[in-house]
Amino acid sequence: MNEKFARWELLFLQNLKRDWKKMIVWILGIGLFAAGFVPAFEEIAKGQGLVGMYEIMKNPAMISMVGTTPILTASDYTIGAMYAQEMLLFCGLFAMIVSILHIVSHTRKEEELGLTELVRSFQIGRQANSLAAIVQVIFVNLILALFIPVTMISFSVETITVSGSLLFGLSVGMAGLIGAGIALLMAQIMPTSSGATGASLGIVGLLYIIRAVTDVSNADLSLMNPMGWTYLTNPFTENNWLPLLFGLIFTVILIIIGFALEGARDMGSGYLPEREGRATAKRSLLSVRGLLIKINKGTIISWLLGFVVMGVAYGSIYGDMQVFIESNELIEQMFSAEGVSMEASFTGTIMMVMIGLVSILPITIVNKLYTAENRLYLSQIYATKVTRRELYWTSVSLAIFTGLVGILLSVVGLGGTAMIVMDGSRSITLTDFLAAGFNFLPSVLFFISLAALALGWAPRLGKAVHGYLVFSFMLNYFSGIIDLPEWFLKTSIKSWIPHMPTEDFDLLIFVIIAVISITLMILGSIGYRRRDLQEGA
Amino acid sequence: MTEIAKVEGLRKSFGKFQALNDVSLTVEAGEVVGFIGPNGAGKSTTIRILLGVLKRDGGEAEIFGKDVWKDSFEIHKRISYVPGDVTLWGNLTGGEIIDLFIKLHGGGDKQKRDYLIQRFELDPKKKAKGYSKGNRQKVGLIAALSVESDFYIFDEPTSGLDPLMEAIFQEEVKKLKEAGKSILLSSHVLSEVEALADKVVIIRQGKIVEAGSLDQLRHLTRSTITLATKGDVAEIATVDGVFDFEQKENQATFSAENKALDAILMKASQLGVKKFEAVPPTLEDLFMRHYKGE
Ligand SMILES: Nc1ncnc2c1ncn2[C@@H]1O[C@H](COP(=O)(O)OP(=O)(O)OP(=O)(O)O)[C@@H](O)[C@H]1O
Ligand SMILES: [Mg+2]
Repeated sequence: MNEKFARWELLFLQNLKRDWKKMIVWILGIGLFAAGFVPAFEEIAKGQGLVGMYEIMKNPAMISMVGTTPILTASDYTIGAMYAQEMLLFCGLFAMIVSILHIVSHTRKEEELGLTELVRSFQIGRQANSLAAIVQVIFVNLILALFIPVTMISFSVETITVSGSLLFGLSVGMAGLIGAGIALLMAQIMPTSSGATGASLGIVGLLYIIRAVTDVSNADLSLMNPMGWTYLTNPFTENNWLPLLFGLIFTVILIIIGFALEGARDMGSGYLPEREGRATAKRSLLSVRGLLIKINKGTIISWLLGFVVMGVAYGSIYGDMQVFIESNELIEQMFSAEGVSMEASFTGTIMMVMIGLVSILPITIVNKLYTAENRLYLSQIYATKVTRRELYWTSVSLAIFTGLVGILLSVVGLGGTAMIVMDGSRSITLTDFLAAGFNFLPSVLFFISLAALALGWAPRLGKAVHGYLVFSFMLNYFSGIIDLPEWFLKTSIKSWIPHMPTEDFDLLIFVIIAVISITLMILGSIGYRRRDLQEGA
Repeated sequence: MTEIAKVEGLRKSFGKFQALNDVSLTVEAGEVVGFIGPNGAGKSTTIRILLGVLKRDGGEAEIFGKDVWKDSFEIHKRISYVPGDVTLWGNLTGGEIIDLFIKLHGGGDKQKRDYLIQRFELDPKKKAKGYSKGNRQKVGLIAALSVESDFYIFDEPTSGLDPLMEAIFQEEVKKLKEAGKSILLSSHVLSEVEALADKVVIIRQGKIVEAGSLDQLRHLTRSTITLATKGDVAEIATVDGVFDFEQKENQATFSAENKALDAILMKASQLGVKKFEAVPPTLEDLFMRHYKGE
């Protein structure tokens, strides 16, 4: 091979040695998640389960979240069909995200930490490191793609066929590869590793939302979307292998472009140029608040933009929803029988999803204070008259503020768009949207308070708050599909909050969660003032 | 003299590891104290406790007569600190960061800032991620030197600076000294310590092993002596306080404790001295001896 990649295999083996634990968790985590729910779905399918689930899954809210099925009548719906529809998109999404994080951390991040420089000084090709990382991701995703069908088949369910299972596994693996390709490209373009991670995840989020819109309006359009090349293989029903080919070609192109760009750039820099900066600071920077805003600015702006786009995308579904209801008498009856409009029900579900995503940003902001501490950014600042209390509360306040703005923007995006596309018969007003959104404010506060508590007492656990967010998100997601015990559901903070507008606002719950959150924040501040700062430890 | 900083019986452990085990030192007003010791000895840990970044497990630590942990806010108004590894937010420029640090400290001298930027030849418009190690260090130094403080704490401040810049740093520190400021300077650059410090404190494995002025410390160590005699020089080896004796014909090189000098000279004169050279311990010798823990 080309000398640029010289001795990549050494690095590859080195990576395997170093990462084997991580890789096992990766494969088992996604693999068991992707394949392990088969028995649970068998349970659901009993009796009239399949027919009922088929009707539930026709709801645009569900389609926008989990994707479509090619099945046209309830009687054709099988366990396999249901499994593919409800599981594949999400599993693919996970595989994609994990691959992205892995690629960025093994390429750009290492470069930033100076590890690459060290490695390159041995006789190793300039791009050997990236190649090794890519091969490693391919390797892991391939094992994953085989592990999934083997596990699935082991449950021996009739409609979970061998070829369908294999296709399911390969689709998940392909999702991982697409993620890796996107990440490799972004790692070259963006100026920093966190920028590369952010941009890659942003692209994935955007593709996901775009497919939500096209799935509801015209599923064929989703086939133009790289995200569609994973779940639209429709295992166990159509068994369409073609999208995998699209995905493969797409990934290869991304990787080739990525390597070409990498070959042409300097180590440690990206393609987006750095502008020359200011010789003196603006007044607005000269405070703890100014500093925290400045260092979080890029993150805040891109997430807020993302929230608007997300709101608008989901909002555009409301138009299709009316068409959908009018075309289906049964559904129309179902909703009018329950006394809630489909719009209201959709709003309740989507709001939970959106506010869950909105929570990511404030958690990130609180966690960033520890990152700064750990990377020694604050060393000199601690020795000034800035107090820990000020650092802590400024961070937490900024987090709360972005949470509020995030809710506002996503809700206005959703509601505003919905108002525009729902001509005539509006069963829901902008006020309903706002109420439904801010109803979840305590949950956002709660996530912030967990991050703040971690910051104060066990800062390494800050990352786990993101984990808890994902956990509670999944819990609420699956509660719509599988019956989960009440106590288990209640481990997610959002299960405590009524889903407006279909359910009534509960002031008591609102206040209690808010008070608990504020208490945790105060506890966190006590810890933050008392503990050793962990500089570089 | 008034004490600016006073540390007594300081202890600190990280988990099971005892990083500091009875550290005591004082910095008097107007004094430059060199704080030296091998890697991992506990210099930065001591300094971080002084800064209120780490909480001590035991002992006393005061700056300006105030407790470093409880009254850190009051103390910080009047101190400046430069770490050995200045890390900066990559997307801010050096100029912006300097201004920010100055402002957060409570304001400084704009002219002094500009003067120092010029002296240290820093391009303040560059984003920090584009700075080399030495240039990042300059940002920290300029920020710390631009503000008015009474006590300066430097933890390996010149790591990564080129010799020219190091000389400028030394000049600036001398100016502070002339202005009557107190300084705690931790460094591995012994020439820097020798040039600046009035007093040296040596720490090893979390314990202070030696403290005093350079002269005092020198006195405690051995000089290297080269001696040639008419008679058999080997007899010198028997004198108490002579070490590392090496003989070549009738010339010997050895190290000797200062208190043994008298006995050595008496014996040597009996043998008939042809050549006598005594080299006082260099700083290097002094530190080597302590670093290696003899
Ligand atoms: N946060 C921490 N957690 C655990 N161990 C620590 C921590 N900080 C320091 N140590 C340990 O305490 C000891 C003293 O470290 P310290 O940084 O004070 O040494 P130092 O004298 O400044 O060394 P150097 O000359 O290398 O800067 C070292 O063994 C170090 O590994
Ligand atoms: Mg140190």
